[in-house]
Amino acid sequence: MSGDWREQAQGLWERADSMEPGEGKVRLLEEAVRLADAHADTGMGYMLRDALIDAATFGGAPDKALVAFAWCRGQQKKDPKRFDPEGMLWKQKWVVGRFKEFPHISRKQIADALDDMEQCFAKADAGKRSVLKLRYMAAREMGDEADAERLWAAWLEAPRDHLTDCRACELDDELDHHIDKGEWEQALRKARPILEGRQGCAEIPHLTLGTLLYPLFKLEHLEQARELHRRGYAMVAKNREFLATVGEHLEFLALTDNLSRGLTLLEKHLGWALEHPSHRDRFTFYASAAFLLERFQAEGGRDTVSLRLTKAYPGYRADCGYEVKALHAWVDGQAREIASRFDLRNGTDRFARLLARNRTLADEARPFAID
Amino acid sequence: MRELLQNATDAIRARQLLEPGHAGTVRLELMEKQDGSPPTLLFSDDGVGLTEDEIHRFLATIGESSKREEALAARRNDFIGQFGIGLLSCFMVCDELLVVTRSVRGDGRTLEWRGRHDGTYAVRQSEHPLDRPGTQVFLMARQDMTEWFAPERLRHLARHYGGLLPFPIQLTAGDRTEQLNPDGPPWRRDYESASERRKALLAYGRDVFGTDFIDCIPLHSTAGDVDGVAFVLPASPHFNARQKHRVYLKHMLLSESAENLLPEWAFFVKCVVNANALRPTASRESFYEDESLALAREALGQGLRTYLVELAHEDPRALQRLIALHGLSVKALALDDDDFYKLVIHWLPFETSMGVMTLADYRRAHPVVRYTPTLDGFRQVARVAGAQGLCIINAAYTHDAALLEKLPHVVPDAQVEPFSTADLPQSFEELTLDEREAVFPLLRMAERVLAPFRCGVVVKKFFPAEVPTLYSSDAEGVFRRDAERAREESDDLYAGVLDGVMAAAGGEPAQLCFNLHNPVVRRLAAVADREVLKLSVEMLYVQALLLGHHPLNAQEMALLNQGLLGLISAQLGGTGEGGEGGEDGGGSRGFH
Repeated sequence: MSGDWREQAQGLWERADSMEPGEGKVRLLEEAVRLADAHADTGMGYMLRDALIDAATFGGAPDKALVAFAWCRGQQKKDPKRFDPEGMLWKQKWVVGRFKEFPHISRKQIADALDDMEQCFAKADAGKRSVLKLRYMAAREMGDEADAERLWAAWLEAPRDHLTDCRACELDDELDHHIDKGEWEQALRKARPILEGRQGCAEIPHLTLGTLLYPLFKLEHLEQARELHRRGYAMVAKNREFLATVGEHLEFLALTDNLSRGLTLLEKHLGWALEHPSHRDRFTFYASAAFLLERFQAEGGRDTVSLRLTKAYPGYRADCGYEVKALHAWVDGQAREIASRFDLRNGTDRFARLLARNRTLADEARPFAID
Repeated sequence: MRELLQNATDAIRARQLLEPGHAGTVRLELMEKQDGSPPTLLFSDDGVGLTEDEIHRFLATIGESSKREEALAARRNDFIGQFGIGLLSCFMVCDELLVVTRSVRGDGRTLEWRGRHDGTYAVRQSEHPLDRPGTQVFLMARQDMTEWFAPERLRHLARHYGGLLPFPIQLTAGDRTEQLNPDGPPWRRDYESASERRKALLAYGRDVFGTDFIDCIPLHSTAGDVDGVAFVLPASPHFNARQKHRVYLKHMLLSESAENLLPEWAFFVKCVVNANALRPTASRESFYEDESLALAREALGQGLRTYLVELAHEDPRALQRLIALHGLSVKALALDDDDFYKLVIHWLPFETSMGVMTLADYRRAHPVVRYTPTLDGFRQVARVAGAQGLCIINAAYTHDAALLEKLPHVVPDAQVEPFSTADLPQSFEELTLDEREAVFPLLRMAERVLAPFRCGVVVKKFFPAEVPTLYSSDAEGVFRRDAERAREESDDLYAGVLDGVMAAAGGEPAQLCFNLHNPVVRRLAAVADREVLKLSVEMLYVQALLLGHHPLNAQEMALLNQGLLGLISAQLGGTGEGGEGGEDGGGSRGFH
């Protein structure tokens, strides 16, 4: 019997290994982990969780990555010789980097986890560049503008080392700063190596193509924006990890009056948003969906719309006919609720301001055909 | 060989632009020496030729040989640049090179350029003028490279890279001259009949890939000006990864490992295609990701889809055989394409708690489609569900859950429901009023004991009778259990974070369902001793967790350990001192 479960766990692992990132892969590895735990095999549990952290991080389950990491971390503390913390520093970055996306994780816990990470990295003789980037991103995301400004400079000045993210990821993360400031040209210039395929990694250019839609729209490079939308959406459409990027595509479609295409995205991805562990990603999606439905109402003509929404949507209707006003009220309400939870946690008004952005967008919208 | 063929092809095409109707020929002549010294290869074309000015331009290209890929790629797109790069590559096999050329555009003079690998060269007017425009390259084989000049090698390489070129390539060696590319691409030839065509193309596929394919599909796209043939693999690919295809660019072999040519779902074919208007990547291994490639990919995918649709209409059995081999490809396409979905969904096979069956067979017998999205979930429900006459689909395999969830959107009358252990009790038999009264003490005790474990209790009757209890929990509950174990193991910092995560997790409480058909449960219901009742409930709870493959947390592990001791102690009755958690002898009735 004991050989049997090992074979089973191994089999699950191999199957997961051959799969694209996504929910299915995560589920298989979770199952294998439970087998190892049920048989109290710590070594196997550690190895499998190591793989699970990857799968969950790139498969839209940051909460599961966190749980798996926390368990491994416990083992490292108990037996650092057998479970070397250094081997997981890279993953610690992924996990800690997403703390800010959960409103139930407090400011203090985020700060503690970053301090802890800094110590762990120092023990491994790594520089501060990695942690500075995460500090910058946390400060930016939580609306600590002065801190963010200071940390931005500190991050880019710190030398690269063996634990800093690849150049493509760093470039992509740098874009936000320029977009925040409305430096569209600069963002585009920085992204060139990514767009031309000279820099890339697991999630780049997937993320980048969505990020650049708005800058391109502002610069009126609409043909290029259309190409990025086509290329980019295909890359993110099948992995819920990219919910926020789908939101960016949705916003672009609404901005350019491609409402029908936008509705197709909404019906296809609402299910992800309903149960997505990252509230931050939910927010981007719901805010974009609200904007789309506002455009729909502004264009006038229809009070109801036919949509194939998931049954999990609280207002689900078997006849697929939805009142636009009610649907808008619901997604908008979701965005507002998440925004207020984040602002409450952060003690800033960043998310309230992000919500207000939809009003600006409404003035900027102009038709540009995708088809 | 590849570079020289490319140069000759470019030159002939340039001449065809000036003189439409010019056919063009490439000649390879191997001149072996009587004295056994290394041979010379004469490589000639009747293309556009070079003017003196152009010779100086290509020399400049050679001079600034850059290693940067982009610069290289840019230069390759320029006729003269490519010519220079091509010639440079000849120094891999020879130390000395002679180029004799006469331009269509020039003054009729024949020029020659003699270059050495050390970079020295001379340009002058040739003493042996050419009768017609064109270019001749003489490669004097280096001593250690003569193997590359064997006739067999030359024949093989020229065919490999230039086999599809639309003008003749002739090889002369000894006193024999042969044409290496007699017929152009096999998919453009005329055949006596459809079956002749199929036979010939399958033979071609075997020749190219060394595989006996089961069918071939014509490919065509206006975007990118692409045509070719796709071969259906005779076995499921081990990984559902994109296949490596052989691609020609303007009839010259570009790559044997291009991956980005077909849509992602199309990993059931390997293909050979020629593209006239797609851009190669700098490394020339694939095509550049741009709008034309995206459109071409869509058109080629459409061709494969048409093939599948025609099979569905004309030869459903062949489609079923194909599904058996390449179900994953078919499923992936069905997921993206509603019309295709409608066409094939009922032929797709699914694993169920009653064996593998097509969705059509399943729906004939079971009006509601019930599936579990995880393998573990399936294992937990399969046995019990089967005993209640429920047929459950194991949708843990790639695409299955998504395909089933799509069903009601495409087939309006279909009912589809995800199923888990939590849904099982609904199918169980309710208790009679008398039974209800009889089990009430057990129910109350179990509720009290299991409340700290966030687990509710029901009592019902179900089969198989050997199963005393069934533990069920939704996905959030399972996640909370995982988080709880991690919290127990982790340090303060992360345990604190996980507290928050667990508090935020929603979902219903777990549930333990007792089975009154089970003899032990029936006897337990009659036990009056509260301690024995408590102990038994605890042990049944732990057993249910273990049977459901739920790892125990620390609190549950403690239950198990104390419970075992308690049971042993109870068995020993009054004969000993009684252990901790042990009872008076009187309570052991229910366990004989």
